[in-house]
Amino acid sequence: MQWYKRAYQYWNRPGRCAYLFLAPSLILLFLFNILPLVMAFVLSLFDANLTLSQMTFVRLGNFAEAFADSRFLGSLRVTAVLTVVELPVQVFGAMIVAALVSRNTRRNKLLRSVYFLPVICSATAIGVMWKMILHSNIGLITYLLRTMGLGKINFLNTPGLTIYVVAFISIWRSFGISVIIYVTAIQQIDTAMYEAAELDGAGRIRQFVSITVPSIRPTFWYILLTRFAGSLQIFDIIYTTTNGGPNFTTESTVSYIYSRAFTSGARMGYACAMSVLLFAIIMLATLVLYRKMNKEDA
Amino acid sequence: MERRKCTPAQALAAIPVWVLLIVLALLVLVPVSWILLGTFKPEREIIAYPPTFWPETFTLENFLIVGKRIKIWRYMLNSFIYAFGTTAFAAFVNSLAGYVYARYDFRGKNVCFVLTLATMMIPFQVIMVPLFLIVHKMGMYNTYWGLIVPRIAVAVSIFMMRAAFTGLPKELEDAARIDGVSEFGIFGRIMLPQVKPAMICLIILSFNGSWNDLLWPMLVASNTNMRTLANGLALFVGEYTSQYGAAFAGTLISLVPMLLMYLFGQKYFVQGMASSGLK
Repeated sequence: MQWYKRAYQYWNRPGRCAYLFLAPSLILLFLFNILPLVMAFVLSLFDANLTLSQMTFVRLGNFAEAFADSRFLGSLRVTAVLTVVELPVQVFGAMIVAALVSRNTRRNKLLRSVYFLPVICSATAIGVMWKMILHSNIGLITYLLRTMGLGKINFLNTPGLTIYVVAFISIWRSFGISVIIYVTAIQQIDTAMYEAAELDGAGRIRQFVSITVPSIRPTFWYILLTRFAGSLQIFDIIYTTTNGGPNFTTESTVSYIYSRAFTSGARMGYACAMSVLLFAIIMLATLVLYRKMNKEDA
Repeated sequence: MERRKCTPAQALAAIPVWVLLIVLALLVLVPVSWILLGTFKPEREIIAYPPTFWPETFTLENFLIVGKRIKIWRYMLNSFIYAFGTTAFAAFVNSLAGYVYARYDFRGKNVCFVLTLATMMIPFQVIMVPLFLIVHKMGMYNTYWGLIVPRIAVAVSIFMMRAAFTGLPKELEDAARIDGVSEFGIFGRIMLPQVKPAMICLIILSFNGSWNDLLWPMLVASNTNMRTLANGLALFVGEYTSQYGAAFAGTLISLVPMLLMYLFGQKYFVQGMASSGLK
């Protein structure tokens, strides 16, 4: 018997082929997810260049440097502000809008596809769009402000203001997904509950508060957790709109890690140390939220 | 559903709701159509003040200009290779893994499963630096493999496929097994066709994800011949801040495939996003 026939016979059993079928995904996940995470922790203790040809063990030196690095601390602040501004809109705003467009009427279907449109746009496209709309000389918003007799505002280049503009664009981008996820959840709710409430004379707002909100609790937590982790990792919208400016006031942690590793100096060890700190923050915050969720559900 | 009758008071209360919904829709539609229309305006009209909404002079010159400034068609080809390659491999690898977790029992299953689950908690942005180093060390820097291979296995997709496969009746595979169909044949010919909707979701999500992916191509595809539309355009826009027409045309070109996919696969698009979450 030829070798491949024997191999086929050996592996063609439910208990054996499972390993074979699973191997590609496990190997890939190990090589490109787990190994890099381990490496991030290891490299964070070294000073390393792009090719790893020069590595010096610096113990916790990178971490000490990070905590004294005003640009890193500033990036944490920026990330926090973006998260704090974005989260309520994504979690509560999208919930209310979803409740308003959840019934399958033609109007609602149309509105939903419009709201979803930004989701398919790339960050580059979104950047080009909003840079143009907000342009301080020829932008549409500038034009509107001027016709209303207001002065011009340099939306993308004003320290203190630009960060909120970035937050707005980031919300603009993914608001549609949050709405669609809520709509899917709301449509699963038993309509008999609403009918009963109607008979009892409960108005639309009362129905929303007493039926819709409690029924979609798992979705609420899901969106909260995913959006939360998402905003802590914000990068591409910043890159395509302000690139961290003006004067680093919109530079998120990931933007700073990127620039430290890939645009100036190639300090891989330092970038890894900051990545590890970011990872710790994400894990810790997620854990706190997760426990809160379990407590509330219990 | 029967249309509910409303009293004048209720109709009045609906006005703020209408206003809100329409303002939100305009917030999406105005910027998008602004860019779409801007693509067909000559440069001097784009930078003119006051801005025009509808093009006064209709032109296609921006497509020619962007073609001269950057290798837009090359970027397009690269984007297609990245998106198709990732999607094809992802569809195969992730559905196979999902199938195993749904249908087989074997030693070490729980360990593998937990390990896969754990990778969901690893944010890409946290591991991007070492990931780049690994790809660089493997000699895949500035190659299609470097773009594609690390993005194939995705835990979320594995779970989506697992959920789809779990619901299928056991008789289906037993009958095939008695008929002497190989284990791989059972997966590919019998079970996979049963989970078509989940598969379409996976394909659309993966394609959309890699097409619009900016960060990873920025790291591993920096060579001008390797850039995808996402990072090639982003670099172009960053460098030449005053070439609006060309930037618009490039943006429009990069949007068209996704718009087409959205038009024809909206149902699956929405389903996929809703069931597997968001980036």
